[in-house]
Amino acid sequence: MSSNIKYWKGEEELSRDPKFLAAQKNEFQEDLPLDEIFSDSGVELQSNRRDFLKYFGFSVTAVALAACYKTQVRHAVPYLVKPEDVTPGVANYYRSTCGACSSACGIEVKVREGRPIKIDGNPDSVISKGGSCAVGQASILSLYDTERLANPTVNGSENSDWTAIDSEVASKLKSIASANGKIVILSNSIHSPSTLKSIEAFKAAYPTTEHVMFDAVSYAGILEANEADFGKRVIPTYHFDKAKVIVSFAADFLGTWISPVEFTKGYSPNRIPSKDGMSKHIQFESNLSTTGTNADYRFPMKTSQEALYLASLYNAIASAAGAKQIAVAQQGELAGNAIKKTADALLAAKGASLVVSGSNEVENQKIVNAINMLLGNYNATINLNNYSKQYQGSDKKTAEVLAGLQNGSVQGVIFYNTNPVYNLGKDAWSEAIKKAKVSISLASTKDETASACQYVMPDSHFLESWNDAEPKLGVYQFTQPTIGHVFNTRQAQWTLLSLANAVPAVEKDPLAAKGIFSQKFTSSPYYLFIKNNWSATLSNDEAFNAALEQGMLAVGDMTPAAPSYAGDVSTLATFVTNASKSSGLDLVLYQATGVRDGAHGNNPWLHEMPDPVSKVSWDNYVAVPKSLAVKMNLSDGDTVNVKLGDVVYNNVPALVQPGQANGTVSLALGYGRTHAGKVGGSVDKGYASVGVNAYPFVTSIAGNRKYVISGVEITKGDETYALAQTQTHHSIEGRDIVRESNFEAWKSNPKAGNDKPKTHVYTVWEKAEYRKDGAPNHLWAMAIDLNACTGCGTCVVSCSIENNVPVVGRDEIRLRREMHWIRIDRYYAFNSKNESVTREKEISKIDSSDNGEYSHWENVSVIHQPMMCQHCAQAPCETVCPVLATTHSSEGLNQMTYNRCIGTKYCGNNCPYKVRRFNWFRYNDNDNFDFHFNNPLGKMVINPDVTVRTRGVMEKCSFCVQRIQEGKLKAKREGKSPNEVEVKTACMKACPANAIVFGDLHNPESEVSKLYKNERGFTVLEELNVQSSVMYMTKIRNTDNV
Amino acid sequence: MSSNSIKTWLLSAAIACSITLHAQSKPNAEEGKKLYEANNCGSCHALDKKVVGPALRGVQTRRSNEWLVKWIRNNEQFRKVDKDPDAIALYNDFGGAAMNIFTNLTPEQVLNIVEYIKTAPEPKKDVPANTNKTDEPADNSSTIYILLLLVLVFSSVLLVLSKVKNTLKRVEAEKNGESEDSNKSKKGFFEKILPGDLGKRNPIVLTLFTIAIVGGFLAYVGFKFSITEVGVQKGYAPKQPIAYSHKLHAGDLKIDCKYCHSTVEESKQASIPSLNTCMNCHKGVQLTDKYNGEISPEIKKIYAALDYNPEAKPGEEYGKNPKPIKWVRIHNLPDHAYFNHSQHVKVGKLQCQSCHGPIEKMEVVQQYSTLQMGWCIDCHRNANVDVENNNYYKALHEKVKADKSGKYLTADGKIRVTPAMNGGLECSKCHY
Repeated sequence: MSSNIKYWKGEEELSRDPKFLAAQKNEFQEDLPLDEIFSDSGVELQSNRRDFLKYFGFSVTAVALAACYKTQVRHAVPYLVKPEDVTPGVANYYRSTCGACSSACGIEVKVREGRPIKIDGNPDSVISKGGSCAVGQASILSLYDTERLANPTVNGSENSDWTAIDSEVASKLKSIASANGKIVILSNSIHSPSTLKSIEAFKAAYPTTEHVMFDAVSYAGILEANEADFGKRVIPTYHFDKAKVIVSFAADFLGTWISPVEFTKGYSPNRIPSKDGMSKHIQFESNLSTTGTNADYRFPMKTSQEALYLASLYNAIASAAGAKQIAVAQQGELAGNAIKKTADALLAAKGASLVVSGSNEVENQKIVNAINMLLGNYNATINLNNYSKQYQGSDKKTAEVLAGLQNGSVQGVIFYNTNPVYNLGKDAWSEAIKKAKVSISLASTKDETASACQYVMPDSHFLESWNDAEPKLGVYQFTQPTIGHVFNTRQAQWTLLSLANAVPAVEKDPLAAKGIFSQKFTSSPYYLFIKNNWSATLSNDEAFNAALEQGMLAVGDMTPAAPSYAGDVSTLATFVTNASKSSGLDLVLYQATGVRDGAHGNNPWLHEMPDPVSKVSWDNYVAVPKSLAVKMNLSDGDTVNVKLGDVVYNNVPALVQPGQANGTVSLALGYGRTHAGKVGGSVDKGYASVGVNAYPFVTSIAGNRKYVISGVEITKGDETYALAQTQTHHSIEGRDIVRESNFEAWKSNPKAGNDKPKTHVYTVWEKAEYRKDGAPNHLWAMAIDLNACTGCGTCVVSCSIENNVPVVGRDEIRLRREMHWIRIDRYYAFNSKNESVTREKEISKIDSSDNGEYSHWENVSVIHQPMMCQHCAQAPCETVCPVLATTHSSEGLNQMTYNRCIGTKYCGNNCPYKVRRFNWFRYNDNDNFDFHFNNPLGKMVINPDVTVRTRGVMEKCSFCVQRIQEGKLKAKREGKSPNEVEVKTACMKACPANAIVFGDLHNPESEVSKLYKNERGFTVLEELNVQSSVMYMTKIRNTDNV
Repeated sequence: MSSNSIKTWLLSAAIACSITLHAQSKPNAEEGKKLYEANNCGSCHALDKKVVGPALRGVQTRRSNEWLVKWIRNNEQFRKVDKDPDAIALYNDFGGAAMNIFTNLTPEQVLNIVEYIKTAPEPKKDVPANTNKTDEPADNSSTIYILLLLVLVFSSVLLVLSKVKNTLKRVEAEKNGESEDSNKSKKGFFEKILPGDLGKRNPIVLTLFTIAIVGGFLAYVGFKFSITEVGVQKGYAPKQPIAYSHKLHAGDLKIDCKYCHSTVEESKQASIPSLNTCMNCHKGVQLTDKYNGEISPEIKKIYAALDYNPEAKPGEEYGKNPKPIKWVRIHNLPDHAYFNHSQHVKVGKLQCQSCHGPIEKMEVVQQYSTLQMGWCIDCHRNANVDVENNNYYKALHEKVKADKSGKYLTADGKIRVTPAMNGGLECSKCHY
């Protein structure tokens, strides 16, 4: 039925752009730029015989001389005293809590010979349930960032003596406090009981202290709406797992909103069609978000008019429930019959539905509360008892701190995990900080705020720290160090305690005092502080260590109960009416899934990861709708000037984004760092910023920050700018790659959308022995559910870390030379007016018959498809390799042997899936690729079980063969049967949606064997008879039958 | 008892007596030295230094021979039964650490030991310092390689020069107006050097022929002596920072390899033991007897690395400046080859010697195998996988038993599965 849908990856493909067509023909976009390289050194490539002989002679001599080089003497340095639980060559896993954002996912850290090399989710954690996100995965690299502060600094100069700084700062703080001057600790949202207690200890020592929490991206709207309606200034726990109908108004809950891993874990299982049904997801938004791409129905919305949409939905539900309406002058139907359809769906699933909004306006959140109240969701899908503590920041109080600094009432200020100079735009903060008598930053890098402070007392990385966390009321997790201190840093809590002179006395570890390696990190007084703090619950060492081993405490009952509701939305009529009058172009500021709020701006893995939707890496851009692009004559590569009030950015790259709502443009926050470092940009060191800083556009309404601003002016810029966009790098010529159907069709025919007649295959080959059922070997295979995959990109980062995949940078990506072994292909399809569009001609017909609205460009549906080496049983790459560098194993693996490869690239040319990557440079020791892999500290993150490839070889997904071998060996050593071998590839383990399943097809009980029998299963390009080992599950949308 | 047997008995008794008498009359220092070593006196005593037990030099002046015999043979009885006050005092002086009992020694033998102690030479004051040599891998093969290459380069230079000379000559000749006739009569190169008609053949054919022969020869030499050996460090036996002897520890003392290389069954690395493993023995074993009361200089290096002072008060033996030992790595696999010890030792049940050679006979460890891929493959083709006793291979075992083709059977009808038969030659078993 839906098989005639025309899928496309980018506009250039759709419009048959000649440049694109030319590039598509070649596997590798460019020849080696030899002329360019040699012209710099004054060498002409047009050589004559004499030159040839000269170079030839030189090369022979050089090679002869190089051969005389003596073999290097290598050393092996064993431990002096081996820690009991460290076995060289065997990894240890420690449970901890992720500190990359406030969500506090439980994690498991893989440690080899004392250095952490991989982070994955802790399956027991209530928050992460074993999943992780790209930011958490990548945060391990910031541990080995050479640009972290190695010592505390005083007025910009380093001083390694903590004690001296402590006493200096303490005396200054004392004089402020004794003169009754105010001291403020401005931190991010803190839910760690022990950290809060250490702040209390600080307050006890300096009684004039106030602790203010501030979030880079504010959730004050929800907090204040709940305070007004329920008397609790909290964010509730949302149970996406219990919701059958999910309606989201611009909340990107699968990408960035509050706790995306937790929400994805809840959301994805219900997205798999089963006899018990399938959840329905309706999204209203302006910019096409990761969440929006997964919705069954996605309605473009002018976000500044969100109140009108919410009020209409409320009225529709209220009229059915007989409740009071919001008196709004109704002006026809919004977005087709969107509101009616949504209301019907919600009413049909009363008590099992969920409405969320990403708005930071209190009134909008109040209407959302009222809707959820009418639907009875507070008993089921929304939990206000075990509320979330992940975000608690107050914009109003933060503004008061700024005012206090400016008028001199705040004389001492401490910044902990916050960067207001960057997050709050413009220069107000940096100037205000200078007025304080004492300004201290506890940041671990010299970020924007730290650069403005007198003292920087660098915090340790969370992998070096002790801590606890309470992300939800009653949910406790622990953080334990997995490595000693890399630099002369000190945990922020320790610093606070030490300034307060409240450091608990530490019993010295006798071995550590003697300089002999000691694994006990007990020398941190904060460890004792936490232990004392927990002494009531975890009375002895055994109990405490057991909790550490678990990473958390057992969680009690978390059933929600109906709260008492004091809200009345009928009073909001004026607000809604005003909102409905919003005019002009909306600027929607959103967080990108990788870079988020910008705190990890110096992490190259996050910049390199293509955006889940636009597939742009290394930049932010103004996403414009097609209608505006046509009006302004914009195409990809053009730039725009953005003006809002006195904030003007010229020549910002523009991108025509399918799905972008008309009347809106959007720009990602988190870019344009000026003091991040050499990757993200540093003014001091002369590194250009990545992207532009969108925070200055954020305006304040009634004290709360607002991320959707009307009346932005956009003009076409003079310059052009090529975004490093990977979306059409691996085009597969419009073949049948993805399949989809809808839930109704699936119910009557589980093969719906996947019922193409099988290509009959004539073959002269017998089925290989190892593939036959019952063969005594493993047969590795993978199954990927397109329904579960949200496209978030976690697997891409996880794979890069596990397999030592280098970061290549913006310029190389522009040349189509990204190295990621796994990519997520994102396919768009028009679904305007419920018609599937098949031919280019028809597309242009719609384009011209649309009164310049281009509404079909607003209404695209999306499929995400993770694509990696398919390990074909009859692999086209294997037969063309002239040196047998790529061969097949008797376990179904397509093996890549780097030491044999001579780099002919024939295999890449012959691969129908375009998953082979040519290694163009020696990325690991090359200062042109200054992404932490060229320095000894950055190399610490390298997985010692995987070869670091050199230039000139082909590489590709190996199905994590190192993990396969490790799993098999473990079973062999323990005499277990092959069916007990447990192997999880890096992508599978990282995936928060459980979309990727890997296993042994010869084990009938394995999950992958079961999925191979699923009717939705298809292999990509089956007709080529390459017999791929990756089975995809047809995408089923919960939409009405067409 | 027959008279004959009585005679024999008497005779042998007499001989025994005479020997004893002889011994008694003059204690033998040489015998004493042997006994001293055989009974490991040195593990607790030194001649000139208090170790576990007291320094022994001059003991004959401090105690009577009688006392010494009683004490050495059975100090416990001497203390507890005889209640000798000196013995009890000595016992208490050494913190109640009892000396071993040596009832196996006859009183005469004890006196021999005392004699040895009496006559043992005084230690020399100056012990020559250890000279450290540089540790470079012995890669002799590359020398031949370089020489060959140089010969080649120089001969081509010669050839070019002679050619230039000839050209110059010809140019000169042309300038001087020499007629072309003289050129015609000139003999070709091959005509000059080859006898008879051979030289008159087509010079191109002759050149190619020569190149083929010379090239073939060079290729053969190169292949045989160098190319396959480049980078192979077989026989590499660098000098280590501590002259640790595997011959002594693994060979003579028969310490199990896994005692020190304890991770060999669980990890990819067998791992060089950490120094606390050494200290399990060498806290006590200091070989002071061999070094005139001084601690063996090699053992001292362990102490230096740990900053351990054996004479310090209990609890203060370890100092603050330990320095890890930089052993010279002998077996160097390239990064792209993955090797796991536990796979081969625990699962494959290989002996260490299969790859490391007669390690228990090596005073200095050397690389015994080539570690080339061909060497790995050879073993993977010939070794036997124990499919019968590991549950992991159960299915494979069933398949092998059911197989009728005979490819899994040895000549004498036993089941034989090599790693190669089970995918052990596939690239990504070792390269990833």
